[in-house]
Amino acid sequence: MRVALERLTKRFGTVTAVQELDLEVRSGEFVALLGPSGCGKTTTLLMIAGIYRPTSGTIVFGDRRVDHLHPKDRGIGMVFQSYALYPHMTVSENIAFPLELQRAVSRSDRESRVREAAAKVQIDELLDRRPAQLSGGQQQRVALARALVKRPDILLLDEPLSNLDARLRHDMRGEIKRLQKDVGITSIFVTHDQLEALTMADRVAVMRDGRLQSYATPTELYAHPVNRFVAGFIGSPPMNFFPADFAARNGELVARAQDIELPLPPAQRPRGTAAGATVGVRPEHIALVAPGEGQAAGEVYILEPVGREQIVDVQVGGRVIRVVAPPGYGGKIGDSVGLRFAPERLHLFDPQSGDRLA
Amino acid sequence: MAVVVERPPSANRWLGALPYVLLALGTLPIIVLYVWLFYSSFFPRVEGFRPVGGFTLENWRFLWDPLSVPQMRNRPPVLPLTLNTFIFAAMTSAIGLLVSSMAGYAFSRLRFPGRRMFLGSVLLLHSFPSVTLLIALFVVLRALGLYDKLVGVILVQTAFALPFGIWIMKGFFDNVPWDLEMSALVDGAGRFRTWWRIMLPLVKPGLLALAVLLFVEGWNQFLLPFVFMPSGSQQTLSTLVKGILGEGRFVDYGLLTAVGLYYIAPVLVLFVLAQDQLMRIYAGGVKG
Repeated sequence: MRVALERLTKRFGTVTAVQELDLEVRSGEFVALLGPSGCGKTTTLLMIAGIYRPTSGTIVFGDRRVDHLHPKDRGIGMVFQSYALYPHMTVSENIAFPLELQRAVSRSDRESRVREAAAKVQIDELLDRRPAQLSGGQQQRVALARALVKRPDILLLDEPLSNLDARLRHDMRGEIKRLQKDVGITSIFVTHDQLEALTMADRVAVMRDGRLQSYATPTELYAHPVNRFVAGFIGSPPMNFFPADFAARNGELVARAQDIELPLPPAQRPRGTAAGATVGVRPEHIALVAPGEGQAAGEVYILEPVGREQIVDVQVGGRVIRVVAPPGYGGKIGDSVGLRFAPERLHLFDPQSGDRLA
Repeated sequence: MAVVVERPPSANRWLGALPYVLLALGTLPIIVLYVWLFYSSFFPRVEGFRPVGGFTLENWRFLWDPLSVPQMRNRPPVLPLTLNTFIFAAMTSAIGLLVSSMAGYAFSRLRFPGRRMFLGSVLLLHSFPSVTLLIALFVVLRALGLYDKLVGVILVQTAFALPFGIWIMKGFFDNVPWDLEMSALVDGAGRFRTWWRIMLPLVKPGLLALAVLLFVEGWNQFLLPFVFMPSGSQQTLSTLVKGILGEGRFVDYGLLTAVGLYYIAPVLVLFVLAQDQLMRIYAGGVKG
C-alpha cells in the first residue's frame, strides 16, 4: 500500500520537530528515514503509526486519509527499538495479542496464524518462553512476528537493529530485508546508521533538523549527494571537504585549494558563476602515489589498518585528507606521499548554502 | 598489584555484627512488649513481667462463651465484630485498589487540564490530619444517611487512603516503559484494554503491596468506626479493645491481652505472608 506524507508538520510547544515533510513511499517499497538524533525521523514514524497527532499536514495510506485515525484502525504493524515485548506474556501470547483484538479471527485460526508468523521468523521452538528468557536477536524476531501476524498493510520499524551486537546486526540486516521482500509489505524504518539505511532500503530519506534533505536510492545518495550535509552523512569513512576557488589553467577550469590543484572535467564544472566551492571527495576516490606524482603532496600522519583496507590520514599543508589505501600499502608515519584524485568523483558544493554545484 | 589486608578474624566478625546489635537494641522494647502480650494472655495475672499462677485458657473464654465474661456481656459477640472488621478492611482495600490503579494510571499517562493541580492537592490531602475533618464528615454522612452504617465508614476510610494509593500506583505506572503502551495501541488495543491487559499485570507487585497495606490500615483503623458507628452492632474489633480498656476502674488485663492478641493475629500473619510484596512498594517497576 502506498504511503504519502504531505506538508507534514509536528510541533512540541515552540520546538518544531518535523517541518513540512513531503514523502511518498510506493507500494511494497522499503524506505529508510535516516538522520542524526533529533532530526525528526522517529517523530515522523510515530505520526505515521498514529501515536503522535500531526500539527498540520496529511497522511494518506492508499487513497485513504488516515491522520485522524486511531493507531488500531490504520492497519500497521510496528517493531519498537526496545522490541516492547509484553514481559508477562509468553512468546505465543505476545504474537497472538494483536489477533485477540480482531474479532474476525477465530480461536483456532489464531493459533495457526501465530504458528505461521513464528515460522516465518524461525522462532517456532520458543513459543512457550517468556521474553526475559530470550536473547536480543530472538526478542527482535518475536517483535517482527507480532508486527506481521495481523497481516498489516504497512510495517514500521524504529531503529530495529540498534540493540543488537555487531555480528547479529549484520545477520538481521539481511534477514529483515529478505523478509520484507518475501512478504511484499510496504515498510518504513528509522535509523541513524547510514550503513543500515544504504544496505537495507530501496530508497533513503535523509532528514536534518526536521526537514527532508534528500530522498533517493542508496546508489544515488552515494554518487550524487544533493548537498554537503548528505555528502558528509553518507559514506564511511566520511568524505573529505576543503574550500577551493576556481581558476583557468591552460584553457581548463581547475579548483585550487592552497597547494592542491584539481582540474575539473566538463561534467564536474559548476553551474552558474560561483567563484569558489567546497570540494568534497571520498577517501576511497583518492589514491596514494609516489611523492611528486598526483595533484597534491603530503606526509602520512596516521595509519589505521581495518583488515580489508587501511585508512590513511595524510597531512597536506595545514589540513588532513583521509585516504583509503589497499591492505598491502606499506607506508609508515612520516612518509612523503603524493595524492591522486579521481577527477570525475569530485563533488562541488556552494560554500554558503551547502547545495550541490556539480 | 592487589594487596590483601587480613584483619584478625575476631575483630572482623565483631565489626560485621555491629549493625545487628544496634538494630536488635532498637527493636528490643517492641519485641519485649509483643512477648509480654503473648504470655499474659495465657496466665491469670501478671505482675510486671512476671506471670502469676499456672497456664490457663480462661482469658480466651470470650471466644466460645462470651456470656460468662462479665466484660463482654453488654457487647456484640466477637464473631460478627470480626466479620465487620474484615468487611471493613477488605472493602476499603478493594475500592482503594480499584480507584488508585485507575487514577494512578491517568496521572501517570494522560495529560489533562489541571493534572498538576490535582496531583498537588492529592498530596496535600495526604498530609491533612483526618481528625480535623471529623465534624465536617459527620455532617456529610448524616446528610447522606450513611451515619452509623458500615458503608459510610468504608467510604470515608477509602477516601483517606486514596492519596497514598494514587501516588504509589502512579509511581509504579511511571516505571512501565512508554514503548509497551504504544505497542499495545498499535497492536489494536484501546485505552481501557491497554490498561487492563498490559499495564495492570505489569504493576502487579504494586497492586499486591497496596492491597495488603490498605487492608492492614483498615483493620487497624479505630477513630473512624468509633466516631461514625456508635451504636454497636456494626462496630469493629478496635472499638471492642477500646471498650474493654476504657470501662470502669478495673481493667481485666488478661482479657485485654487475649482480645488484643486475637485482634493483631491476622495482621501479623498477613505481614509474614506478604513480606516480599511489601518490600517492593519502594522498589517498583517492571521485571523483564
